[in-house]
Amino acid sequence: MRNLPTNCPSCNGQLLVKRLACPECATEVEGCYQLPALASLDAEDQRFIIQFVESSGSLKEMARLLGVSYPTVRNRLDEIIARVVGARALGEDEDERNSE
Amino acid sequence: MSATASDVSRSAARPPVVDLLLRPFAYVAGGRSLLLGLAAIVLAGFLGSLSHTHFDGVLDMHTGLAVPTSVFLSEGIVNWLTMSIALFLFGKLVSRAEFRVRDLFGTQAMARWPTVLAALGALAPPYRRLVSSITVQVLQSGGLSAQRADIVLGGLIMLVALLTIVWMVALMYHSYSLCCNIRGLRAAVSFIAALVAAEIVSKIVVVRVLVG
Repeated sequence: MRNLPTNCPSCNGQLLVKRLACPECATEVEGCYQLPALASLDAEDQRFIIQFVESSGSLKEMARLLGVSYPTVRNRLDEIIARVVGARALGEDEDERNSE
Repeated sequence: MSATASDVSRSAARPPVVDLLLRPFAYVAGGRSLLLGLAAIVLAGFLGSLSHTHFDGVLDMHTGLAVPTSVFLSEGIVNWLTMSIALFLFGKLVSRAEFRVRDLFGTQAMARWPTVLAALGALAPPYRRLVSSITVQVLQSGGLSAQRADIVLGGLIMLVALLTIVWMVALMYHSYSLCCNIRGLRAAVSFIAALVAAEIVSKIVVVRVLVG
């Protein structure tokens, strides 16, 4: 499956989900949905998070698997946390605007 | 140089040689770096004792005074501890990230490994002859009595020793930036402040307590 685009190629704004489809019965749902915070990360960051979960959340194990030091992995995780927090804040702002 | 968190790739690839020389702590930290670093500090101290070369301050390297080997060994430990403690305090003050003390202290110890090269260079006969000639000149206000070859080779070794100190500072900065997850101006300014503080404290401890 192709990578999910998360940002607009024109203005780089956060993309929303407009249409969802069921591959079994071809039912389609249209609306305006926020991407989940984790889905808004780029492919590399998502791979990192999956590896992190597979390593039972052990940064030591992650460092061993990736062949890098503990602080390198720790800093990468901090970067991703900052992005997730940013994406969540953006989503909450969007929700507030929609509800007004 | 900044922390290399974004350099992490999915698979463990062999790191490039330049990375190992300039950003080794992206690959080695914690207990391993502490062991390697302490071994390097002790080796540099021992080699220094053979040529009476002192690392008498975080940034210093001077050849001269003959003292017991234990003093040469202690100088490296004092330099490492004062710099690590200063960076730890500034890191706590400036960084928003949680960091492990053993990563900072371990990588700071390992950052001192270029002093082994400097201490090795100080064993070379042209360097020793040039240094003793300069010492005689300073003490007796006479002309430089060293041979031309000694001046060229000894001077070259002095230049290389100076470069190893610059390299050591670059490694110390990389260690601080990575372990405390600080970058940019905040990292540079706090590092320089810590370096100046550690230089003053280490100089006082080495000169007044160890040698004096």
